[in-house]
Amino acid sequence: MSAEGSVAVNHVWKRFRKDRGRRLLRDHLSRAVQVGRKKTKNPWRWVLRDIDFKVEPGESVAIVGVNGSGKSTLLKIVAGVMFPHTGRVDTEGRIGALIEVMSGIHQDLTGRENVLVYATLLGLSRKQVADRFDQIVEFAEVEDAIDRQVKFYSSGMKMRIGFSIAAFLEPSILIVDEVLAVGDASFQQKCLNRMAEVTKSGATLLLVSHDLAAAAATARRGIWLENSIMRADGPVDQVLGMYRTSIEEHAAMGAQTQGPVRVTDVRVAGEGSSLVSTNAPCTIELDVESQEMFPTNFYLGVSEGAPTPIFVVRREVVLQPGMTRLRLELPRLPLPSGKFYLWGGAYKTISRIELMPWHPITQLPVIGRHRLDPTPNAIVRLSPVFVESSWTVDRLETTGPSQG
Amino acid sequence: MAVAETIRETPEPEEAATFREFHEIPESPPPALRYRRGLHFIHAMKELWHNRHTMFNLGFREIRVQYNQAILGLAWAVLTPVVQMVVFTVFFKNFAGIKVQTHGVSYPVFLYTGLLAWGFFSSATTSAGQVLVSNPLLNKIYAPREVFPLATIGTSAFNSVISTLVLAFLCVMYQDWLQPEAIWVPLLLLVLVGFTVGVGLIVSALTVYLRDLRQALPLLLQVGLFVSSVVVGIDTIPARWRGLYCFLDPPAMVIDALRQTALYGNQPNLTYLGLSSVSTVIVLVGGYLLFKQLETGFADVS
Repeated sequence: MSAEGSVAVNHVWKRFRKDRGRRLLRDHLSRAVQVGRKKTKNPWRWVLRDIDFKVEPGESVAIVGVNGSGKSTLLKIVAGVMFPHTGRVDTEGRIGALIEVMSGIHQDLTGRENVLVYATLLGLSRKQVADRFDQIVEFAEVEDAIDRQVKFYSSGMKMRIGFSIAAFLEPSILIVDEVLAVGDASFQQKCLNRMAEVTKSGATLLLVSHDLAAAAATARRGIWLENSIMRADGPVDQVLGMYRTSIEEHAAMGAQTQGPVRVTDVRVAGEGSSLVSTNAPCTIELDVESQEMFPTNFYLGVSEGAPTPIFVVRREVVLQPGMTRLRLELPRLPLPSGKFYLWGGAYKTISRIELMPWHPITQLPVIGRHRLDPTPNAIVRLSPVFVESSWTVDRLETTGPSQG
Repeated sequence: MAVAETIRETPEPEEAATFREFHEIPESPPPALRYRRGLHFIHAMKELWHNRHTMFNLGFREIRVQYNQAILGLAWAVLTPVVQMVVFTVFFKNFAGIKVQTHGVSYPVFLYTGLLAWGFFSSATTSAGQVLVSNPLLNKIYAPREVFPLATIGTSAFNSVISTLVLAFLCVMYQDWLQPEAIWVPLLLLVLVGFTVGVGLIVSALTVYLRDLRQALPLLLQVGLFVSSVVVGIDTIPARWRGLYCFLDPPAMVIDALRQTALYGNQPNLTYLGLSSVSTVIVLVGGYLLFKQLETGFADVS
């Protein structure tokens, strides 16, 4: 017997039919006819291959990967609603799953009835629900509407009440699938805080998120799924780093260089060497080839992997037919050490017609001893910008015990 | 110098991440590790018992929703059989010219008894056919899947109990009193419920894979209403076929036996009861096994 809250995923394989379409009688019939006629090719497609990991009680694990890499299927198998094809999953303790939180809410019941009925369905006793009822309602911020039918709720309210019910289950294993995509910023923050609270109380957390910053801030360990296999497993920063690199490589491969303007060469240099480091000068030289004369807005940006940049600089330039050399100087590069990417794009000044699409140009590794200070627990990490700072701590004179 | 103070040393990574390339993963899984869920009857029953609250709450929720959204609320459970009863009574009295053998019992009471039993079977089967298709709760509740059809069958049973109140009213109105042989009724209902659960399990599991069963089901049940002696009684079936008939259609046997005992005051025909019980057990066990067999695939398709 393993400890409460542990998850053991043992060489799990899962496959789906390729043609997951209609399931009508005539579809079955036509398939039966086809089998007789000719040998159909393998109708299966693996969505999980040899997934194998163990999670100890109290660990927090972020599962990352592009769409269709098998993350949600894996969570469903861990949650026990789907069964593996090969291998087995052993879990200990109650599982609370924040998967599609809204869909368990019934439109025709009032908020109060939903809380009572849904929470008992998810495994709480009536007494436990009664004890937590006020907390749930307060967390969801629906006190005024609690006796109204849920179909008259705004979608934000529905989402909040769904999340609140699930969040107050106090499970020993909490499974979270992309719930942070909904809700306004302050509620997202509340959800993150709640998740941190649950893990702090000793629960195991399995989190699927495309918000890598939130994943890094919430989890200690990362698992990267790509193309139905587990590519990496380890400390969250390392795994997310590998994942980012892979996104970047894919983006670079997909980037088209056939436009009227393209970058033919790029040189990045730091102070006295080809390496750039934190808070030091950095020079970027681009050779740009243009087919015609274009008045251009030329953008350069730096990102961690995703197209969303950390910062962008822009220069208006009239590109002449042929080669132009652009030279950008940054006196102090505000990036901590890590792997970054240089992105670029060119657009006509007035019409904004795309001359060169926004695409990654080159890698920009930053060396140095400067690492970001960790954020307070479970706060969404912002883009990593190195900000020079100095603190002074002055002890103010205290005059004995405070007045009271 | 002030800057240097704010800089933190890069800590050594505690452990390195493990990394795997695609070619390290075999093409297909090792057959020895194939997931097989053993079906231990005792274990499965324990699991079901363990989840009895979930089942109860599912049913409770369904009843609650049913009576929340409708203006007439509870009356809906009663309304369907009552309207059917009125329609059939008026039709048969005035137009059809068929003399239904009711053994001295008024036709509305005779008919309503049949409609109650059939109504339970019919509504339970219909709702069981829908409960595993696009049910958002399927992905959320980690109970054995049979709690879903069982809960919805329980809801139908609840509705039927409510409708029984009308039977009491009819009995008073037509001065048809229940006979002491009504003591057989619980056993007969047990057969009916057993058969309904068996069919419900089969239908709910098959609809997941055969979606048009949902369209076919109401049609079959409509035919069944007339086949199962609800409207005209079992006397229309030739005696030598009645054994087979009861074997194939246990609800019909139950309907007839309910009338025989509770309304006419006869003993039930034990041969027919036995035959129906045998087929009920077959359907129940077969349905359960089929359901458990298909259960692991539900989440993949629905």
